[in-house]
Order: sequence, then structure tokens, then C-alpha cells
Amino acid sequence: MSQAQTQAGSMAGLKSQEVAFWLGKAVEWGYAESPDTQRDTCLHLGPLRAFLQLLLTHIHTRSSTTETMRTVPFVGQFLGRLCWNPYVTADAESRSLLLQSLWSLYSEEPHNAVERKANQWIRNLLCQLATEEEDSATHMLVKHMGLPPKEYNLKVLRKMVWLLVEEVGESCSSLADPNQRCSCDSVLAASVACVPLVTCPETAPLIGALLQRPVTCDKAALSQHFLDAVTSAYSRKCVSLEAQAVVSLWCHNLASLEGAVMSLLDSVLSNPASIPHNLEHTITHSLLPKACSQHGSIFLIVNDIFRSMLVQVEGNQTVLYLIHTFTLCFLRELAALQPQECVSLKAFFPHTPQSLLDPLLTHPSEMAQEAWPEHLAWITASLQRLTEEEEEEEGNRGQCGVFEAWFLLVQCADWVEVASQLLVSARPQDCGPLLWLLTFYHHPTNREHHRTQQLVAAREVWDHLRSLFLLSAPPLPADRLQSLAELMSAVPQQPSLDSLLVVSLLVNFAVFSHNPLSGAGEIVRMVVQQSGLVREAVCVLDMVELRLNREGSSSSLTDRVKPRARALQGTLTHMAQHDTHTLTHMAQHDTHTLTHMVQHDTDTQPLWQRWDTHTAAPGCSTNQTL
Amino acid sequence: MEAVVKNLERTTELLAVSQTEMVQRWDKQTLDRAFQWTGYCEHVYTRFRANPNVRDVLEKQLQVTNERLRTTFQGYTDITFSDLSRCRHLLLVGLLNNAAVPSSVIQLLFDTSCSRNVGDTSKESLGHCTELIEVKSACKVLSAIYLKRSTSFPGPDADVIGTTLMEILDILLSPATGGSKVGLAEKLLDNILQTCGENENFSGVVAAALLSRKNNKTATTMASEGVSLDFILDWLQQHHSVLQHMCSTLPIGLLMNLYQQSVRFRVTYRDMLKQWGSQLEYDMGEGEWVQMYTTNGVSFKTLSDHYRSLLGACPSMKEDVESELTELKVADGDFDVRGLSVWGDLLSELNKV
Repeated sequence: MSQAQTQAGSMAGLKSQEVAFWLGKAVEWGYAESPDTQRDTCLHLGPLRAFLQLLLTHIHTRSSTTETMRTVPFVGQFLGRLCWNPYVTADAESRSLLLQSLWSLYSEEPHNAVERKANQWIRNLLCQLATEEEDSATHMLVKHMGLPPKEYNLKVLRKMVWLLVEEVGESCSSLADPNQRCSCDSVLAASVACVPLVTCPETAPLIGALLQRPVTCDKAALSQHFLDAVTSAYSRKCVSLEAQAVVSLWCHNLASLEGAVMSLLDSVLSNPASIPHNLEHTITHSLLPKACSQHGSIFLIVNDIFRSMLVQVEGNQTVLYLIHTFTLCFLRELAALQPQECVSLKAFFPHTPQSLLDPLLTHPSEMAQEAWPEHLAWITASLQRLTEEEEEEEGNRGQCGVFEAWFLLVQCADWVEVASQLLVSARPQDCGPLLWLLTFYHHPTNREHHRTQQLVAAREVWDHLRSLFLLSAPPLPADRLQSLAELMSAVPQQPSLDSLLVVSLLVNFAVFSHNPLSGAGEIVRMVVQQSGLVREAVCVLDMVELRLNREGSSSSLTDRVKPRARALQGTLTHMAQHDTHTLTHMAQHDTHTLTHMVQHDTDTQPLWQRWDTHTAAPGCSTNQTL
Repeated sequence: MEAVVKNLERTTELLAVSQTEMVQRWDKQTLDRAFQWTGYCEHVYTRFRANPNVRDVLEKQLQVTNERLRTTFQGYTDITFSDLSRCRHLLLVGLLNNAAVPSSVIQLLFDTSCSRNVGDTSKESLGHCTELIEVKSACKVLSAIYLKRSTSFPGPDADVIGTTLMEILDILLSPATGGSKVGLAEKLLDNILQTCGENENFSGVVAAALLSRKNNKTATTMASEGVSLDFILDWLQQHHSVLQHMCSTLPIGLLMNLYQQSVRFRVTYRDMLKQWGSQLEYDMGEGEWVQMYTTNGVSFKTLSDHYRSLLGACPSMKEDVESELTELKVADGDFDVRGLSVWGDLLSELNKV
């Protein structure tokens, strides 16, 4: 390239080396007729797209085609060559960039001969691209058959896809006869060639077939380029794969699995208003539970990501609910598997102490309600034992066991909700284990042995709630409410009780107590209003309702309770609309406010730091490889 | 019928206009309407292609329109009934080659914004050409992978044509469409043969047509299935050289497929083998059976390959075939000396393995 051209090219944001490289490539590839050029095109497709985008931006920023031709004189032959390379035009994005570039070069009002010529060239090129016919013999045959060319091409494409799907679906021939040389290496070549076809709707069955091909032979690997291309297209929702193909993709490519999990977390966390009603749908739709049920390794990886999420966003109600709902979906998928495919649950939860696994994984609906208190007592006792043991060890081994147990509790949080429900009607002598469980759930670490004080605080809250809901008749004793509010506004130095715990108990009392609904509603309204925890209360109530729906069987309890829940929903949602107003109003109060509840304990350390500093990483999970 | 004629006339005019300067005023709506009209014509073609009466009427009307338009538009090309099958394509070619078409209209055809789903053959004009490019490129890419299969004959293009051929024959020959149009069907096959020129393509198409029933699970009743197949075989009998060429050039595996599928074909094929055998003469000098008089027969080796495959592919018919060969050998004198009866030598060749 001449000096002037080099300078012009580099001034325009396109490095001259890059330009020279791609020009050379376009010439080298030609019509992509040899296997080498075909392969080379496929492998360079990603970087080519980036360059085409640069080129397009460059053209856009020029004021006219004449100027473009001056700064990048090669543009015509470059675009022209690429338009005749089927490996470039088959890919949706490259094709789009090429066509957009051509149109950007088209001048509506050509000012000179250069622009007029360019216009003509563009129109000719497009015409040829669209109407180029196959050889004359085939053309005549197609005409005799009365097939419009587009329909003919489409049918040929579908037939090709069908034949290839059949061929790909054949298992390695060397399985039957070890002496026979298998043709599995052609699968690798095929996967490279399919890189441009990842976004084409008609070839989706072939992409799926390649992904799902059983990897029985050493040579039957899929090209990494191909896997990356599929992953990228899937995350941009440019390809429609059937569920099993997606699962296979995740098995082949760890990055795509991680991407899918992050995408799920992103969509859930960025839209907390839709929680928890749409949560189950969103999770199932992501296909992750299905993949987890089929491959234990995927479940372990997903859980690893959840664990790190937990320690980064501690106490986040949404994350807790997500993990819980995810586990429910997963268990459902697992149960739906064919019996011969079932693996023992231990494989899915390798780090959890066995003594806790079975009790926690048993769903409350699988046993009679009368058996709940005993079951919970057992769980609580196991957990207490575990925490005491670990504390005695002075953290030499780190608090892996307790963290894993707590993580399992988060996954099976139905039991925590059951404990909250039981606390409404529990007698004073029975409430101990239940309160311990709740406190443990919300405060898993026992830094500086605060748990004893937290338990005391929890007991106090419970007593207050009991007296408010069970013992008082309207009009509500204002002093009782006051003392409850006072209790909630703890002194900063002392470890305060997690606001979620209090809200959760409050809502459960309101729903399950026998207090007249109007009274219960009033209590909730006043406390929630003062504390500003409307959204959290709504969430808790939603989860209670969902749990009641899940348990399905209608009993006298559910019949009584569901209308109460619904009515409370109405009250709270109504309040939520006035929430912002209340908060600003509230800010003016400096006495008896529950602002400590609003702030998520910003003065205490984040959860992960509360773990013993010897702990390398929570969960102590080793690097999972598929 | 009146309405159809009128609509055809209008669309033909539209096609003529699309190639003139009058398209300068076209916009998205005009384009969409043009697409709809041409789509309608394609539908008319499909509807009446098997109905000679209606077809004639429409053809005559088209001629009248052609004459009229020839005087109005310079460089006008006639539209025939069979052209209607690709009416939209004609519109497209006309527009793309016409420099007077506003660039905004062309841009619509090459739009890249809409995303397609499988099976969504869009009738709309938006992105029509982009889709075309996508499909054609995908075909080219796949054809490079595709050739690994040993049984890649007939290729997918011959397959599509063959399948379509069978569909057309089904319609033409089915009693439901008011009497079989054997004449039309014969004409169709004749046309194809003429077009193919070298018999290579033709063999592929016919083979694909005959085999198309194998893959088509939603085939019509057994009766009509057999009818089209038999028709083709009958026609092949009348064009014996074509049949011969087919049998000698198609991969034997393919012939075995056909053999297993069609009883009619078995008879035809076995007759052909016998004919080939009878054309062989023993060359004393070479000590081999050779073709003396014809150029389009097969060698002894090829013939024995065919028979060997036959015995292997259809074990149930093995005895049948062997007894037939034995009969022929007996008819030749039943000697066990080499060189006296081609059938005897075949039998001993086959029994060697």
C-alpha cells in the first residue's frame, strides 16, 4: 500500500496492518472452494466480524462515498470478494454487516462519476447475488417441475440437513469392529464447517445433532470454535436449540454453562419485582434444572456459583429464594427421570454431612403435619451438634461442614418456613429448637458467640408477637406495639436480629394465627409501615402462598389460611404503592424508628468475612471439572 | 374462472411494468402487493397444472395478453402458463435488473433486521433476497461436508427433483383429479429426458423418484403409490436404452434398494440382466466372455457383480434366482465346460465364493 493510503487507513481508525491482513485473506479465500480455504474462513469468522464492524463504522463516519473511496480505496473489491464467499454470507451477522456496508456506500444523490459507478456496481452485485442460478441443466429441470427457485433451494437445503443429521447420528463404527477405521474425524471437520451455520434456522437440527453425538471415540471431538460459536449465538438468542442439545452444549463447554447461570442470576436479580411468582418459570425456562438432573457435575458447578453469589450478596432475600426454588425445580426434574438413570442423592451433595441430607431433602409435604415438630427438632439437634463440634475445633479445618449444612438448609428452605409457621401456635416450652433454626438460617456464623444474645432477642420478638396476635383483642394495645417497635430498634453496638427474620415471623403470625383478619392486618400494616420493609414483607407472603399451593392438598388449615394470605397481599401491595411516600415521611422521625431494620446491617461485617479467616473458600469445594 | 383470468392479466401487466421506468414511484406497499399478486399466480399454476382444459383456456388468454403487451412495452418477453410457476422469481429478476427501481425498495428486499424461524417460508417481501442468499450459501457450505457418504448418489438436488416428480405424477395419474392424464405424464418424462441430455442426470432423477417413497412416511394409499412407480417403469421399458444405461451406471446398492422395494422393478431388472447375459459372447483367444456387437452392454465381471449382490441382498429370492440361472444353463445344453454357456459360467463364478 502506498504511503498516502497507509496514512489514510490508519488515520481512519483502521490499522494498516489489519487492513492488509484482511485484504490478503479475502484474496486467498476467493470463492472458498478448497477445504483449506473453507476451514480458514470458518476459523477467522469471529475476528472478521469485528473487522467488518470497524469498517462499517468507518464508512458511516465519512461524509460521502467519494471520501470513503479516498480513504479506503480497497473497500469495493474487499466487500465484493467476501460476498461471493458462502462461508461468510451464510453467517447472519457477517451477512448483515456486508449488506449494511454496501448500502452505506450507496449514494442517493450521486455527485460524480465515482459515486455513480459505485451505485451501479452495488446494484449489479446485489442482483447477481440474489438471482445467480445453478447450472443450466438443473435450472431447466427445476423449471419443468414447476418449482420456484427459492422453494427448490430451500428443499435442497432441508434434504441436505436431513442426510447429514442421519450421518452424524451414526455412532462410531469402530465400536463394533475395532479394526475398522472409523470416520469420526470427519465429525470434527464437519463441526468446523458448521461454524457459519450456527445462526441459520434451517440448520438447527444439524447443530443439535452434532452437539448430542455421543463422545465414544477419541477422534469424535467437536471443534472448540464451533462450541464457542454456538455458545455465543445461544446467549444472544440467535439460535433455537432443543433442550437436550443445550444440555449437551453445556457438557461440552464449561464457559457456556457458566454463562447460562450468570444469565439466570442476572435476569432474576435485575428484576426483583417479579419475584417470587415468575421465579419458578424463569428457572425452569433456563433448562438448568433439567441439565443438573441429568449430569451431577453440572449441578455441582451451578451450586459452586450459587455459593460464591451467597457470600458476595449476603442476606439477599432474592438470592436465597432463587437457590431454594432452583433446588425444588431440580428435585422435581430428578424425580421425573427414568428409574435406571437415577443416581443416589449423595452424588449430588457430596460435601453435606450424611446425617442432614435425608432429613432436609425430605419435603414437608411428604409427611404428616403432626410429624413436623419432631422432624424439625431432629434437624435442629443435628445442626446444633455440628456447630458445636466445629466451634470446638477452633477453626483449624475451617468451617466447611457448617457452611455446607447451612447451604443445604438454604436449598431446602421449606423447612425454615415450616418452622416459622409452627412458631405461631407453638407452646413456650417447644419454641426453643424452632427459634434456634430460624436464627441459624438468618445468622449462620457465630462470630464472637453472638448467637446466645440473638436467641434471646428472637425469643423476645416471639413473645411480643404472641401477645399481640394471640392474646389481645381489639383495640390494639398501643403500648404493646410500641415495645415491639422498641425491640426492633436495637442499639447499634449489640448484634441486632436480621430484619428478615422478624418480618418473616410477623407475616407468619398474621397468616396463621386465629386473630380476626382485620386485627392481624392492622398490626402488620403498622409495623411494616414504621420499618419500611414493605417489599420484603410482600416477598415473604408470596413465598408462604407458593408453599401452600405446592403442598396441594386442601385441608382445613389451608382453606382457612389462604383467604387471609390473599387479603394481606392486598393490604401490603396497596402499601407498596405508597412506600416511597412513607419512606420520605419516615426520614423525619428520629425516635422509635425501625431504620435499623431497613439498612441491611451495614455496620456489621458482610457475611463472608464473618467466617473464620482460616477458611480458604466457602464450601471448600475443589475445582470441578466435567 | 373469469376472475382468475382477469387477475392473471393484471399480474402479467404488473410484471411488464416492473421492468420499466414506472417503478420509480413504487414503495413498500406496492412491493408487498406485487408479491401477493405473483404469489397468487404461483398458486393458480399449482392448482391447474394437472387440468388440461383450464390450462388451455388460461394459456390462450395469456397469449392474448402477450400480444397486447408486446405492442405497448418494448423488449417484452412473453409469459406462458409454465412461467407462472416462478412468477415471483420473474418479478424479482425484473426489479433487480431495473435501474429505475428506487433504492429504498431494493433495500427492503435485502433487509437484515427480521429474524426467521424454521419452516417460516415468509410470503413477505421484507428480507426476501437476504433469505435467498442465506439458503444458497448454506447449501454450498453443507455440500462440502456432504460428500463423505459413499451412497451420496443421487445427490440432494436430484432427490428434490425426483420427489417432486413423483408428487406431480401422483396428481396426474390419480383418479381423483378426473381421469388419468397419461399423455401429460409421458410428455413430462419426455421433457425431462430431453433436458437432461446426458443420461447421467436423468438416471439420478429417476432413481430418486423411484426411491422417494421409501423415505416418505406420509405417502398416499398403496394403490396410487404403485401407480406412479409402475408408470415410470413402463415408460422406461419403452425407452429401453435409457433403462439399460440406468441399470449399468447406478451404484449397485441403489439398485438393490429398488429391487427390495418394488415387485415390478424386480421383473424389469432380472430381464435386463438376462438380456445383458445373452449379449455376451465367448472369445476363444482371450478366454473371456466379452461384448462383441453392442457398445452399451456390460462386462462379464459387472454382470457377475450384479448377480452376486442380488443373491446377497435378497436371501429369500436366492433360490429363485439360482434356479432361473440353472434353467438357462440347461437350455444351453447343461454342459459343465467353461465357455459354452454364459449362465453356467456365471453359476460357477457365483459358487466360487
